[in-house]
Amino acid sequence: MGITCEEVWRDISDYVDDELDQKQRAALEEHFAKCRHCAAVLEGTCNVIRLYRDERVLAPSKGFHDRLRARLNQKLNQGADERFHPSRRAVLAWALASAAAVPLGFALFSAKRFILPGLEHQSPTGSPDSPAVKGLVAISLDANNKIFHIPSCPYLHGKLKFISVEEAIREGYSPCPICIGKRRPEKKG
Amino acid sequence: MPVSATTNCAENETRNDRIRANEEVLIRRIQEGEKDLFLELIRPYQRTVYATLISMLGSKEDAEDVTQDVLLKALARLRQFRRESAFGTWLIQIAINEARMRKRKLRHGIMFSLTKGADDDGAYVPKDFADWREIPSEALERSEIRNALAKALALLEEHYRLAFILRDVNELSITETANILGITRGAVKTRLRRARLMLRDILSPGLQQGGEVGLAFKEARNPWE
Repeated sequence: MGITCEEVWRDISDYVDDELDQKQRAALEEHFAKCRHCAAVLEGTCNVIRLYRDERVLAPSKGFHDRLRARLNQKLNQGADERFHPSRRAVLAWALASAAAVPLGFALFSAKRFILPGLEHQSPTGSPDSPAVKGLVAISLDANNKIFHIPSCPYLHGKLKFISVEEAIREGYSPCPICIGKRRPEKKG
Repeated sequence: MPVSATTNCAENETRNDRIRANEEVLIRRIQEGEKDLFLELIRPYQRTVYATLISMLGSKEDAEDVTQDVLLKALARLRQFRRESAFGTWLIQIAINEARMRKRKLRHGIMFSLTKGADDDGAYVPKDFADWREIPSEALERSEIRNALAKALALLEEHYRLAFILRDVNELSITETANILGITRGAVKTRLRRARLMLRDILSPGLQQGGEVGLAFKEARNPWE
């Protein structure tokens, strides 16, 4: 007993996609051999797919590629122009960045001034070779942040490395707000 | 025997591997600064992106404009291409997102869903059983035939249309289609079945649809045109 036409219509699309098992496939093929209507449905379905797959169907109009090329060139030239003749927006961005750099530089310079005098009388019991005597700051190799501390800072933990303030700043480290932030330059006179 | 997507499968895989390897080289060179190679990279996908967009936006002009925007956006975002999917699939995903965004704007923020429209799980009964004479490839040179195909597609509900476009026009696999639409493989198959059978009925010989004669019938009457 073969399968019915309704069963064929239900599975015909999966048949086209080869999504049926061998048994189901054989049953459909047996039906197509006998039923002219279902064979016509199959042929028509395959024709539909074949037609729509053709590159000429649902394709953009002829001038599309040239228009796209023109837009792309325009965009690329715009990018090159901006590199050589920065736009007003780029100039403004540079100006803002420069303006921001001044206070940042001042802050780093001040940090250095705050730290170095303090380090001179840090750790009075330290040996002449101790980091404090050399005017070094400490960074933790285990911490996830990029902060440098005076060597006695309670927030310093893990494996330590001692480097100069200049080096720390150069490497992108910021002063610890606890141990260094508390320090103020000594008033003179 | 069916046409199918499945014929010459091994051959297609080799071809796809070759295309992918070539694309990989192009993508690397573009990322390193040779941006003028981008046109070469996207040339095979202009149609698939356009077809996806026309199936969602409806108008040819809108679809062309948005296709250009999508392709230029892809150039700007090429560094973000993670190679988790094929480059063509990535482009189609950008296109679908862009179309969704535009439609949302047009509808003043109303959410648009690709899964909108209930899948009709009921059996589809074909309406026409006349034999099709195979339409020769040359017939597609005629804009009249191409327009008839576009018009027939526009008659389908959008969720059927998009599944058909992704699978049968863009030649994505059923799994890729399911991933892009965020639906199951089973739902993709259901949509494909209805879309294919409905299109066959709309275009088939001897069938009157909305006052228009089936495409194959036209062709059979004027084979010399």
